[in-house]
Amino acid sequence: MLHATQPITRILAVEDDPLLASHLQTHLQGSGYDVTLSHDGDEGLRLATSEQFDLILMDILLPGRNGLEVLQQLRSKHGVPVVLMSALGGEQNRIAGFSQGADDYLPKPFSLGELSVRIEAILRRVAYERREQAPRESTDDLHFDEMGCDVALAGTSAGLTPSEYRVLELLWRHMDEALSKPFLYQQALRRGYAQHDRSLDMHISQIRRKLQGIGYQGARVETVWGKGYMLARLG
Amino acid sequence: MRLPSRYSLLWRLTGMLALFCLLLVSLHVDLGRLLIRATSYLPASTKTILTDYAREAEAAWQTEGARGVDGFLLRLRAREQIWAVVVDGQRQSLSSRPLEESERQRLRFLRQLDGQMGRPDGTPTFELPFSDGENRLVMTLPERLSPRKYRELWEALLYRVLPALLAVLLGILLYRLLIAPLAILRHQAVALSAGDLAARVGPQVAQRRDELGDLAGAFNHMAGRLEDTLTFQRQLLRDLSHELRTPLSRLRVAGEQAEEVQVLGQRLEREVATMERLIADSLELVWLDTERPSLPLEPVDVGHLWDVLRENACFESGWSTEQLPCELPADCCVLGNLNGLAQAMENILRNAIRHSSADGMVRLGGRREGACWHLWIEDQGPGVEAGELETIFQPFTRLNAARPGGDGFGLGLAIARSTLRLQGGELWAENRALGLRLNLRLQSV
Repeated sequence: MLHATQPITRILAVEDDPLLASHLQTHLQGSGYDVTLSHDGDEGLRLATSEQFDLILMDILLPGRNGLEVLQQLRSKHGVPVVLMSALGGEQNRIAGFSQGADDYLPKPFSLGELSVRIEAILRRVAYERREQAPRESTDDLHFDEMGCDVALAGTSAGLTPSEYRVLELLWRHMDEALSKPFLYQQALRRGYAQHDRSLDMHISQIRRKLQGIGYQGARVETVWGKGYMLARLG
Repeated sequence: MRLPSRYSLLWRLTGMLALFCLLLVSLHVDLGRLLIRATSYLPASTKTILTDYAREAEAAWQTEGARGVDGFLLRLRAREQIWAVVVDGQRQSLSSRPLEESERQRLRFLRQLDGQMGRPDGTPTFELPFSDGENRLVMTLPERLSPRKYRELWEALLYRVLPALLAVLLGILLYRLLIAPLAILRHQAVALSAGDLAARVGPQVAQRRDELGDLAGAFNHMAGRLEDTLTFQRQLLRDLSHELRTPLSRLRVAGEQAEEVQVLGQRLEREVATMERLIADSLELVWLDTERPSLPLEPVDVGHLWDVLRENACFESGWSTEQLPCELPADCCVLGNLNGLAQAMENILRNAIRHSSADGMVRLGGRREGACWHLWIEDQGPGVEAGELETIFQPFTRLNAARPGGDGFGLGLAIARSTLRLQGGELWAENRALGLRLNLRLQSV
């Protein structure tokens, strides 16, 4: 995702456990990010408002001010993406976090690989929103109806819902590229991904049925195990 | 306003108060009348005393004439401090002193011994005829002999003390009626807070059909729920720590044997994953059971959901899609929570695959029953003992001896049942001729 020509991505990590914090820093720096560490909520809030960051990674239970309060303060003036981490695990906290504007939530314990996928998904979505929409790859058979949020083959509409349309459109723009579930949730469904969430799977299943229903043979949605989904061109 | 039920305390309280008022009014009227009657006539003892005076006067008259009468009247007046005269049939004084005008006035209205006493505030004057029927002794009633002497005391008793006593009595009665059951409730609440989880209010209060009975019922329900939850959590904690010991002891042994770093790393990853799954499942179960969150319901196409679950299951287990057929009618759509229902069906499906042979089949079937959909997932495994059809829904239940396979913690079906109940559904198991059938009942759209 990252290219040498792009300015380096800055991440603020607010985590009070020094061991986990240093592991986070090492791992993220290894992935090419510039990481600033903070160990308590007040300092985290001060850094977040005084400096420019591309993403904030924050624990919920912090000394000083807790993560949800910091998030609330931050949201009153900043649009910077925030990923909350917590060992609380309860659905209640997850929902409370989102309602106050967190972009994603990672229940502890998580693997560093999982963390990278989530961060990448959010940064990619932000980059998407900033960039001019690249023209969709032209196609001779499947017709995309932007206004009606539907696709048609030889005049027959597939009858997609707006969510299904956004997922298919995203997969279509990245033909033959595996897209992670966190990214698909962020970009197409506009919310964080949780382990037991089945909405995307149901949308994909519907897209497969509907494309099959109108007799589309050009490509099919494949499951990429342990990662996400991919639209693979056939023939 | 809605009237309270016919067993309500309201009726008893108002009934008692009405009875009290009636009692008070009738006491006032009837006893008052009795009191007046009792104090309006002279008692027999007084009559005797007065008749004795008349006889004494007659004797004095007969023996000594006017002088005797003078002496008698002097004695009588000195003794009783009253006005008295002795007169003949023409109301002429028989003593040596003639009657004054005012005394003559007094003689106009005389009372008989058996007659009434007249005005309550006046002093009645009685005439007591001699045995010849002509002459008579006329005297006012001595204060000490008046039957009205204690009348004020009686009135105070009747109109002030008695009602107050009755009110106190009514208060005690109400107190016993209302407070005695509350005291029993308080006693049980104290026992409960002291840690006696079996504390319940006895049937003498719980079976009352009034508000106090309702309160006792609510208390018993609360205590029961508390006992269930605490028992559940204690059991869960015990099982959980027991389950955590297994991966921990494996890790300890592996650490002590100092295997190669790479092998140790793989083992570490595997055991950590196991512990994570165990804790996540336990927390999920506790959350479902104790918080009872309200899951948002939406229409869910079950056949469609089966496709999604089947794809995952086939990848995990290496089964082919044909081994997991869907035999549902095409229109099967239930009202449920997508993620909750998916989790429940996934747990059931995993369980079924785990207990089947590699070439077995697990099928989804169902039919509509009124406003519900009755769905079932059945495997071709060995089934379970009839007595254990309910036990398999208890957390940490593993029937390894009866059903082959089983690397889970025995939490899957417990979670499935809890999450289905939160969606207004039901889950139960039954043995079929071949294998076990898990039945789901969910509301139709």
